[in-house]
Amino acid sequence: MSHDTISTPKKLKSRQRIAVSNLRTPDKEVKQDSHENLAVDSLSDCLGSESRGGTKAPSTIVCREDEHRRVFEFVKGCLDQQKAGSLYICGCPGTGKSLSIEKVVKQVGDWSKQACLPPVDTLSVNCTSLIYSARYILEIVEPVKEDNCYSSPLHHLQSLFSQKQDSSSRMMLIIADEMDFLITKDRGVLHDLFMLTIFPFSTCILIGVANAIDLADRFLPKLKSLNCKPMVITFPAYSKDQILRILQERLMVLPYVAFQSNALELCARKVAAASGDMRKALSVCRSAIEILEIDIRGSPGPESQGPTPDNPVVRMDHMAAALSKTFKSPVVDTIQTLPQHQQIIICSAAKAFRGSKKDATIGELNKLYLEICKSRVISPAGITEFTNMCMVLNDQGILKFDQARGNKLKRVCLRVDESDITFALQGVRFFRNCLL
Amino acid sequence: MGNENPAEKALNLIRGRLCDPTFVFRPLSASSDSNYSKLKFIVSTSVTEGCNNSILLLGPRGSGKAAVLDLVVGDLMEEYPDSVTLISLNGLLHSEDNCAFKEIARQLCMEHHLLFSKMASFDENSQFIIAMLRECGLAHKTIIFVLDEFDMFAQGKQRLLYSLLDAMQSVTSQAVVVGISSRLDADQLLEKRVRSRFSHRKILFLPPSREEIDSLLEHLLSLPADSSFPSGYVSQFNEKIKNITSDTRFKDMLKTFLNANSTVNSLLKFIFRAVSSMNLESGLLSLENFKTALSSMQRQPKLEAVRDCSILELYLLVCMRRLEVKEQSSYNFISVMKEYKTIHDSFQTSDFYAQNVCLRAFEHLREREVICYAENRGQSQAGEYRSMKLLISASELHQGMRSHACCPVSLHFPSFYFCQLTSLATLFRTSLQFCYAVRFLHLSVTSMSRWREYVNLRLTCSISDYKQRSSYNLQDLQVGNFIYNTQPHLIKSPPDLRITPYAKNCDSQQRHLNAHINSPHPDQISYVCVLAPRSLLSSPTLQPHLVACLTNAPR
Repeated sequence: MSHDTISTPKKLKSRQRIAVSNLRTPDKEVKQDSHENLAVDSLSDCLGSESRGGTKAPSTIVCREDEHRRVFEFVKGCLDQQKAGSLYICGCPGTGKSLSIEKVVKQVGDWSKQACLPPVDTLSVNCTSLIYSARYILEIVEPVKEDNCYSSPLHHLQSLFSQKQDSSSRMMLIIADEMDFLITKDRGVLHDLFMLTIFPFSTCILIGVANAIDLADRFLPKLKSLNCKPMVITFPAYSKDQILRILQERLMVLPYVAFQSNALELCARKVAAASGDMRKALSVCRSAIEILEIDIRGSPGPESQGPTPDNPVVRMDHMAAALSKTFKSPVVDTIQTLPQHQQIIICSAAKAFRGSKKDATIGELNKLYLEICKSRVISPAGITEFTNMCMVLNDQGILKFDQARGNKLKRVCLRVDESDITFALQGVRFFRNCLL
Repeated sequence: MGNENPAEKALNLIRGRLCDPTFVFRPLSASSDSNYSKLKFIVSTSVTEGCNNSILLLGPRGSGKAAVLDLVVGDLMEEYPDSVTLISLNGLLHSEDNCAFKEIARQLCMEHHLLFSKMASFDENSQFIIAMLRECGLAHKTIIFVLDEFDMFAQGKQRLLYSLLDAMQSVTSQAVVVGISSRLDADQLLEKRVRSRFSHRKILFLPPSREEIDSLLEHLLSLPADSSFPSGYVSQFNEKIKNITSDTRFKDMLKTFLNANSTVNSLLKFIFRAVSSMNLESGLLSLENFKTALSSMQRQPKLEAVRDCSILELYLLVCMRRLEVKEQSSYNFISVMKEYKTIHDSFQTSDFYAQNVCLRAFEHLREREVICYAENRGQSQAGEYRSMKLLISASELHQGMRSHACCPVSLHFPSFYFCQLTSLATLFRTSLQFCYAVRFLHLSVTSMSRWREYVNLRLTCSISDYKQRSSYNLQDLQVGNFIYNTQPHLIKSPPDLRITPYAKNCDSQQRHLNAHINSPHPDQISYVCVLAPRSLLSSPTLQPHLVACLTNAPR
């Protein structure tokens, strides 16, 4: 459907949809074949978009080959020697950790089938849902049988791993996602989990995923003393070139050009400078497409500037608008549209907290406010209304109150940068002198 | 029969409109750039194309975020009747993760007619939710999660947000997460992994511009031309509305109102009050309605409390203020009574009330919350010994005293001046042609150095008047007299005018006064401060002179 219908705007929409669906973050679009009513699904299937667990997915992920290979080697090594091992993967959010792990798991499955080894039991757990039951992870690993005389699954596992088992026992691959949720006060669960791999006859391979780089050092010092620290693989944040490559790779499947190359480059550069988070890049591209769509829809006549409706391309201005929407904070806009008295309050707060003073009481702020009002010949609001306005500003996150008792003694501090305030109010002549 | 007055019907109609957020925000849906259309676009793409989305609605309280969202959801439910499910949570109620998951599961059960068990554990609930998401995704039903007070969900470990957003990314689902918050930095409060999964769409709800307000007023206040109203009445009413809204006074009033509070909600409240005070006989709105509404919305309750106080209570408040100015940081009833006594002694006030009367006045002030106990401990002490503090500021006290019906003039100088001329002061105030107030002051010598700052006399009296009256006896003006030019930088004072301190003999004073009177400065206005104790001023010889003098005073 995408290839032949290029002219009418109706089909244009579907094209946009394709692009949008392609830019979704990787794990989302598992559209099974049963969705024939949505044109997009069959389209994304034909185009071979990436899907979790789908056989049509490409087997490698761009720009993460090195890390992928290392993890795979580690698991392969453990399986070859039928030994246990532990691995810790860390990195900022949006750097492809979970995605890589899934690919590795699949790859391991394929490889073990090829190498005629017994298949590996895989258990993939997201630890956010287990906090009230921090010990349950061990139950999931080994469900307690009724006739078992051991008190807890942990003991059962520990006893299991202390004895030699028959060679037909299978290896267990445990993947614990968002592992920092398992950190309790006594670090008991984490320790137990990692210690499972230390037993002489243990058969489990543990891969933990988290954001903190030094989780192993900080929370598992005992392991270091036992000289069995887990191997650490860090997934660094994406650089500009990597983001660009990934985006281009995704868009390669489309038969037409959806993005101008400098728009993509702008997006990659901005996102790499900010966080290196791939999800952000993808969502920026999505909103750029939406802006383009609104643009085209909003100006149907022949006087619409830019490309003809037949071949719309996301240009730099769309991308710039999408980037500013994502990265700009709404504070400046809000300050510019606040009512005048509230702007005066913000100015007086900015003046008060200019030096080393970090907070003041409402009474002091009120005095400054009255001074400014008097110097500008405006009738000031009464103390009740002043307090109400301060509360409104507190609700919006511009000021911050602490919990002192009594209205006048509450301490107020400013949460917004003074440069933001100056920038927001620079056009207003009224405030030019106030802020000096 | 329902022979309702058309005015009443109109009133009910307008009031009904003002309370219905759908009606209020409907005209906004017309323009394509409004928040309504942006939100609708995002949610409807999610419904039609089956993708996931997350969005934040930000703006001050009362700017219509929840109302616009309701409009959008209502419209979508009409367009796609079976494929939209709405789950709404509130951060004030459900910020705890356990509670939130239970609530989501319960609402999902209700929507899909399943049985919900209250004993389900946290894990079971979360598995159920993920399973439902998957099922609805497969069946092309969109679930819209509305999280009100979004910043409350961002406290703690943010497990709910993480689970929802992660499920949206890893499970085949069709869901939209809409967060509503009044904090502008709500997305900075999210943890980094939650923030990474959250698409940074924000819709900002800004206060309406002038054109929008004008069109909103017209939309709300114009009566429809249907048959339930007599037609002449409708055109008359709408005409009057147009006249009012184009009046500059109305525009100024609206501007002062919006300078303090510019959200749509406060505007609606203002209009509601104005409409409620409509005159039912004439059946038309007028500018006065809006004026009364404005004054009732900009009340100052503490000011009214001070205005209602009795004179003794005012005295007590002034005593507390004096103690504060003297930088006595904590004081209690006993020290206030001491101050009161010193004032009475030095200035010989007319009424010195007993301690129990003052205590009752104190309690009354505390009930009205004009003063309060400074700290909460010390409950076991008697009320008289606990430290107190003022709950109103100095300027509020001044303003309240100024607008008090019969506040003694003396109290207007809160720190140091004091005099008791209540009746005389009101007499003067009413008889003076040019709102100049008489200040009769009796200063004690110790406070001489500081009174310069506080003198605020506005009495003008020309010397020639005095000349006419020079026959009266200066002996009468003996005790503690001053003649002082209070604004030397504005007015050249005669060189012989000096401050004379309280002296036992009055010869020098007589000389001074004579000199002042005799030096002819007819075109010069000098501020004369004549000090006299009360007993003297009530003497029959002095009063009529002074009254006469002062009524002819300013030129």
